Amino acid sequence: MRTHLSSRHTRTAALCLLLLLISACVENSQATSPQATLPQATPPQAQSKEFEAGIDKYMQIHRKAVGAVPALPRESSDAALIAKHQQQLAGKIRELRPKAMVGEVFSPAVRQMVIAIIKQKTEGKDGAAVKATILGDGNPKSAESPAPVNLAVNGTYPASAPLSTMPPSILMALPMLPKELEYRFVGRNLILLDSQANLIVDFIPNVL
Amino acid sequence: MKSAKRSLRLSLVMFLALLFQLQGQQSTRPDPGVRPAEGTATATAQQPAQQQPQLKFAILGDTGTGGRQQYEVGQKLTATRGTFPFEFVILLGDNMYGGENAKDFQTKFEKPYEALLKTGIKFYASLGNHDVPERQITYKLFNMDGKRYYTFKPKDGVRFFALDSNYMDKRQLEWLETELKNSGSEWKIPFFHHPIYSSGEKHGPALELRKVLEPLLIKYGVDVVFAGHEHFYERLKPQNDIQYFTLGSSAKLRKGGITGRSAITAKGFDADNAFMIAEIAGDEMSFQAISRTGTVVDSGKFRRVERKASN
Repeated sequence: MRTHLSSRHTRTAALCLLLLLISACVENSQATSPQATLPQATPPQAQSKEFEAGIDKYMQIHRKAVGAVPALPRESSDAALIAKHQQQLAGKIRELRPKAMVGEVFSPAVRQMVIAIIKQKTEGKDGAAVKATILGDGNPKSAESPAPVNLAVNGTYPASAPLSTMPPSILMALPMLPKELEYRFVGRNLILLDSQANLIVDFIPNVL
Repeated sequence: MKSAKRSLRLSLVMFLALLFQLQGQQSTRPDPGVRPAEGTATATAQQPAQQQPQLKFAILGDTGTGGRQQYEVGQKLTATRGTFPFEFVILLGDNMYGGENAKDFQTKFEKPYEALLKTGIKFYASLGNHDVPERQITYKLFNMDGKRYYTFKPKDGVRFFALDSNYMDKRQLEWLETELKNSGSEWKIPFFHHPIYSSGEKHGPALELRKVLEPLLIKYGVDVVFAGHEHFYERLKPQNDIQYFTLGSSAKLRKGGITGRSAITAKGFDADNAFMIAEIAGDEMSFQAISRTGTVVDSGKFRRVERKASN
């Protein structure tokens, strides 16, 4: 009788184990569904907060500058007017942050966070393709479409220079920016670009 | 009583005849689930679709050089409109190479397509890696409404999605998912710069972009995708029931740019510059790729796959 009971327990335990294994497999297969192919990296909180504060501070200046220059209609068929507006906006931003220098937004702590994220995404076999995308056609330092870009805070990003293609995996992992700002690469350097003003807000040299 | 019976019998015969005829019509319709990509090269331009036309449009990619080839393609496209009255043109990015000042907008866009612009033809642009977003999204003749990515519905049942493939971030992906979800059972036609399938020897497919974009295209039943970037024309074999075209040779050209080893090419043309015209007629799209000299280098038609869009 005892032997019978014990073998029954063993069978029940084995069944439970099997069920657990199946459920683990199902969970695992769900985790690799197409939507989960690019997991979000969560940057350390303190560094993120510091970055957010830097972005907020810059955006206050940006908004002030937008309010100070003649408004541009939502659409205009006058390309000269559009270019003029962009130059005026950049000029006003420069006026409002005359002493801006490298590290103002990308502070040492933020820089560390950003470099770690990019390093993680550009390492290994998959990372090689990501790196190739960044350094390929579009990057102003690429052999295919070279264009001079003066890497300087408050400097103009020339309208004649192409823009590096940003791999989605990098954009998903880095903190999201307001829509007026972008991450771009000039060679191996990461820049924070004010795309409305075509102005380099800050940069981190040799990220790759 | 007898005449009543006769008229009843007559009505029954007529009803059966009508039913028979209806069944016959249905059986001649193609199976909506079957979607062959028929591509046959022909020597002269012809009307692509036989059915009642619903929407005709043209496609240009990688245009903004201001060079002779761009002007010649522009002239041929204008001439084509005489026999194929397309309603608008979509631009697949790199609309402006080099500078983007007022003079550039004239010599690299307004002049080459002057005749079309004069007749009121609209151009809908998407951004490439050579484009300055802020200058182009506010440029009225690109019809971007101040947005880097946008959607428009030229006719009932057809919706286009212009994407910025050079900066595909979370915000844009969420927007795209919402728009695709809300677009219901329409023809869904995204167009953007970087091809996610390509047999280009130089660039090849944008694999990183494919990872995030393709699941949405499949999930929401996208029918056809147009991309540029590669400076040649390529029609790909349908991938996951989606028809892909690459057209980045409307001004620039990479001769011999298509690798001969690719198993996904249905038809390629890398010997001269090209543009495309397309027509949607019901569930069918017909297309032609035409060279700078006016030769039809590829043509065909395909039916969109009847799929239930996921929610």
